[in-house]
Amino acid sequence: MKPRVGIPRALLYYNYYPMWKEFFERLGAEIVLSELTNKKILDDGVNCSVDDACLPIKLFHGHVIDLKDRVDFLFIPRLISVQRSEYICPKFCGLPDMVVSLVNDLPTVIDVTVNMRNNNSSLRKAVLDAGRYITGDVVRIYSAYKSSLQKLHEFQRKMEEGLTPLEAMHGGKPSSFKEGIKIGLIGHPYNIYDNYASMDIIRKIRGRGIGIITQDMIRESEIDRIAKTFPKAMFWSFGKKIMAASEYLIDEKKVEGIIYMVAFGCGLDALVGDLVERRVRKKGVPFCLITIDEHTGEAGIDTRVEAFLDMLEWRNASKCW
Amino acid sequence: MKKSYYLGVDVGSVSTNIVLVDDNRELVYRDYLRTMGQPIRVIQEGIRALRSRMGDIDIKGAGATGSGRNLAGIIIGADIVKNEITAHAVAALHINPEVKTILEIGGQDSKIIILRDGIVSDFAMNTVCAAGTGSFLDRQASRLGIPIEEFGALALKSTAEVRIAGRCAVFAESDMIHKQQLGHKTEDIILGLCSALVRNYLNNLGKGKEILEPVIFQGGVAANCGIVKAFEKELGLEVNVPPHHDVMGAIGAALLSADAAERKGYTSFTGLDIVECEFSVRPLDCKGCANLCEVIEIMKNGEAVACWGDRCGRWSNRMTKLA
Repeated sequence: MKPRVGIPRALLYYNYYPMWKEFFERLGAEIVLSELTNKKILDDGVNCSVDDACLPIKLFHGHVIDLKDRVDFLFIPRLISVQRSEYICPKFCGLPDMVVSLVNDLPTVIDVTVNMRNNNSSLRKAVLDAGRYITGDVVRIYSAYKSSLQKLHEFQRKMEEGLTPLEAMHGGKPSSFKEGIKIGLIGHPYNIYDNYASMDIIRKIRGRGIGIITQDMIRESEIDRIAKTFPKAMFWSFGKKIMAASEYLIDEKKVEGIIYMVAFGCGLDALVGDLVERRVRKKGVPFCLITIDEHTGEAGIDTRVEAFLDMLEWRNASKCW
Repeated sequence: MKKSYYLGVDVGSVSTNIVLVDDNRELVYRDYLRTMGQPIRVIQEGIRALRSRMGDIDIKGAGATGSGRNLAGIIIGADIVKNEITAHAVAALHINPEVKTILEIGGQDSKIIILRDGIVSDFAMNTVCAAGTGSFLDRQASRLGIPIEEFGALALKSTAEVRIAGRCAVFAESDMIHKQQLGHKTEDIILGLCSALVRNYLNNLGKGKEILEPVIFQGGVAANCGIVKAFEKELGLEVNVPPHHDVMGAIGAALLSADAAERKGYTSFTGLDIVECEFSVRPLDCKGCANLCEVIEIMKNGEAVACWGDRCGRWSNRMTKLA
């Protein structure tokens, strides 16, 4: 029987899943996913995690609980840095420790460490360490890694064509919003693409005939080009991407407005949110900050999004409805 | 020729407002009712009162707004269901096409709307915290045994304002009790509270926004002259309170419905006899998946007319198909 590797559909799932899937499947494992976020996952996550964790971290715990009894391994990498001289949120460094100490009866946790702050060698070691849980064949591990990288690049290309990660994973077609209003929807991928946590914001915006561009739909080279112009290097990889994306979308006149979705209690968003807001407003572009949390009332988000989109349409057409 | 009218209904957390505007977009009828947690009954009562005052009139369009707008929209058969921000902006522009800033404080939320050249250019709404909104003032008034209507006038009598913390309603309350136990006069404490709320509002919502004249202050709290004075002092600008400040949302909904009905060429308004209909709600706790959505079905004379609360659309889509 194939070893079953469980991947929680939370946090960096939205950035790396196609890569992880290819890697473990090439090694002969079977991938098992948690359910898409639902109320039970949210409740389980909230009940078991520490109370000052942010919503996405709580959701991650809920996804682990959903998966743990159905798999032989749980893949929870310890990601410290994915790019030279940059970090990702400190909660990711402690993620496997947090999960192990808070969730009982876990299967084996694959908690390899990726820290590329100084050089790439840690990635090579992480790949090897992760592969060894499934096979002793080093050559096979490297070839699986090579083809998984290719999958990641294909996945990123598809997003650059305008697909959300879920659409890119499931073979969606680029949306047909060639004309009409577009807005920039930015924020951590696990906030904006998790339809439950985001209260389905993408569908709500598109449902009004308004297109969206997220930071993941922008070429990496553009992000890097703009990030270099910052007065001070942004050392958070996600923060850098979010800031550069908002700048790019405005400067290239790709969007009429920006919605930034943040999770309550996110330290990074608290800072980056304000930086982005100041820069966006200075350029006279409409900006809206949406905070998501554990509450299930959609009215607050709906009213803000609706009013924001009304405002954009109003500006665009100089008319009422 | 028989005159025709447009109906606007604003169902808020504290009040439900019903207005009529005529063909010339002039306000001809207004009613301010307490929602009392019973939006359906209050809407029906409001329509009944409207019918007995105005008779059987020709309503050519109906609009709904407020936090209960979807429910209200179903009951009256609204031609347009719009959020409060847009409705308030439309109503304020109708009164003064030059308006550049709208301050709005309602029962449980507060907003600031910035307009330039007759269109909304920016807005902000308070977050989950309701400090500084009408229901908080209501509560403090009743704690001090002062009718809310006299609250503002009493504040104006003050000669020595005391400082109250306005960041949070709970802290404000304990600060007020503390000042009261020290022996400060009630009117000084009340003026202090008005200033604290205004400070909190401007820090939260006004942050980084350019507040220019003309400024219009609307919503139920605009009736409080203490708050108006505190705004003028803090902003250094003239703050105008329109005569129908407390029903502006409903006026906006009525104005929007006139355009919507005109565009459609007909109205979906169900008619004034909705007061005879029996509305009820039926909770359907969906067990279809782990989301366990709290779905509810709105029934009119025993027949389902709307349904919402489901995330997947399993129930609400079924309704759309029926319609």
